[in-house]
Amino acid sequence: MARIIVITSGKGGVGKTTSSASFATGLALRGHKTAVIDFDVGLRNLDLIMGCERRVVYDLINVVSGEATLRQALIKDKHCENLFILPASQTRDKDALTEEGVERVLNELIQMDFEFIICDSPAGIEHGAIMALTFADEAIIVTNPEVSSVRDSDRILGIIQAKSRRALNGGEPVKEHLLVTRYSPKRVDAGEMLSYTDVQEILRIPLIGIIPESEEVLSASNQGNPAIHIKDSPVSQAYVDVVGRFLGEDLPLRFTDYEKPGFLKRIFGGK
Amino acid sequence: MQRKPIEIKISTVVAIAVILHDAKLPVLETALQQLTANSSDYYSEECAVIDVSHIDCTDMHWDALIQLFKAHGFHPVAIRNAPEECEEQITALGLSIDLGSKTAQFADTTAETAAIPAIPAAVEIIAPAPAAPATTPVPMIIDTPVRGGQRIYARGTDLIITAVVNAGAEVIADGNIHIYAPLRGRALAGASGNTAARIFTMSLEAELISIAGIYRTFENGYPALSAGAPIQIKLNGDKIDVISIQSHT
Repeated sequence: MARIIVITSGKGGVGKTTSSASFATGLALRGHKTAVIDFDVGLRNLDLIMGCERRVVYDLINVVSGEATLRQALIKDKHCENLFILPASQTRDKDALTEEGVERVLNELIQMDFEFIICDSPAGIEHGAIMALTFADEAIIVTNPEVSSVRDSDRILGIIQAKSRRALNGGEPVKEHLLVTRYSPKRVDAGEMLSYTDVQEILRIPLIGIIPESEEVLSASNQGNPAIHIKDSPVSQAYVDVVGRFLGEDLPLRFTDYEKPGFLKRIFGGK
Repeated sequence: MQRKPIEIKISTVVAIAVILHDAKLPVLETALQQLTANSSDYYSEECAVIDVSHIDCTDMHWDALIQLFKAHGFHPVAIRNAPEECEEQITALGLSIDLGSKTAQFADTTAETAAIPAIPAAVEIIAPAPAAPATTPVPMIIDTPVRGGQRIYARGTDLIITAVVNAGAEVIADGNIHIYAPLRGRALAGASGNTAARIFTMSLEAELISIAGIYRTFENGYPALSAGAPIQIKLNGDKIDVISIQSHT
């Protein structure tokens, strides 16, 4: 049975698209047929981060409005056999994204035997974000360890509770996962940043992973390479762990402790 | 699917209740000026229901009364408990008539409950069967976190929440509010005037608390109370008391 997962946050710039790209890639690398859809109509980013922007011919809006078939619009990922990208439109109005149209696209993907459908939500709580979460079975809430991001994540969780199909139909609620990104154990240790336990204390949903802050993410994104492909990096290892936990594995948290410089370093390290 | 041009649904509108204890307009005006500190946007066009059950309305100039409240930033939408002979005059001014029977019932119960401790002390306290309404309203129970932007209103009853109420959320009840987790948002008990309503919470981190329209914010921090003990909030005259609940052992 296919699972539809929305990656959302409320606040912008916290790492939704980076996480969508890496999470979808991770699932595909584990052998699951996966599609990732960019819902950010007007500001497409996912194709850039996935490195397929030059191959975009048709987009989500073309499919929703019947101007192209889904098969025409889906772009096969350059690294993974099982991964397909459905880009957003850069030129069209976001009102073209109708609920009936989105539902039809998702149903068609399910008929094409996709196991996981990842919906990369735009920031905010407007139409595009609502469309991305409406049909979700599960939600990954991307949160930075700072107060305004946590506040917006709380807000979007409330909207999922109120507006998702699962909520409206009164069945099993959307399964929520917390993904803390841009985490800097050193700054947490110095009291400049909320710890992941602080974030969890406020949001009260299960933690699926912590992605450490790293400069490597920016350069990978600029090269159109999802962060999970970075060699020997804590970031890629953390995303691999997230995928593992999502698939039901019990993995300990990594990259959450700050190791203070040792005794000798403090004496001889100098300033 | 074609959308109908008009959709009709039942909806609850939150309005502030203004209870008048004086019929003289100059007296009301002075009181309003004090209340709003002369800033006309203090109430920012909030819908208001003006309750006149406690005053004599025979010589009331309804138009002047409504204008007075409008001038102070209220948006009067209805008069509650107006005498029958005035109804025509009020509806002509574009306001509706609110019977407010629920409020009256609440007020009565409060009065009787409050009178109970005055009964000469019996040796054995047998539950003195308070004159409760014939049918006890069923409290509203919420088991999931109440998140920023969400608003829950328990109309005519108590509200029990077994999960956190986060910043930016608003929980409102005509009766008491019980929160078995931290309260970080706003909680408004006794929303239709029940001054005996209380708020209970495991941890007070609220943005605002209010009982029967009297509110308190915590800009300068929370009162120092015994750590870890649950907290109750009740009205003491015009003041809101925040006290910790101590188990009497």
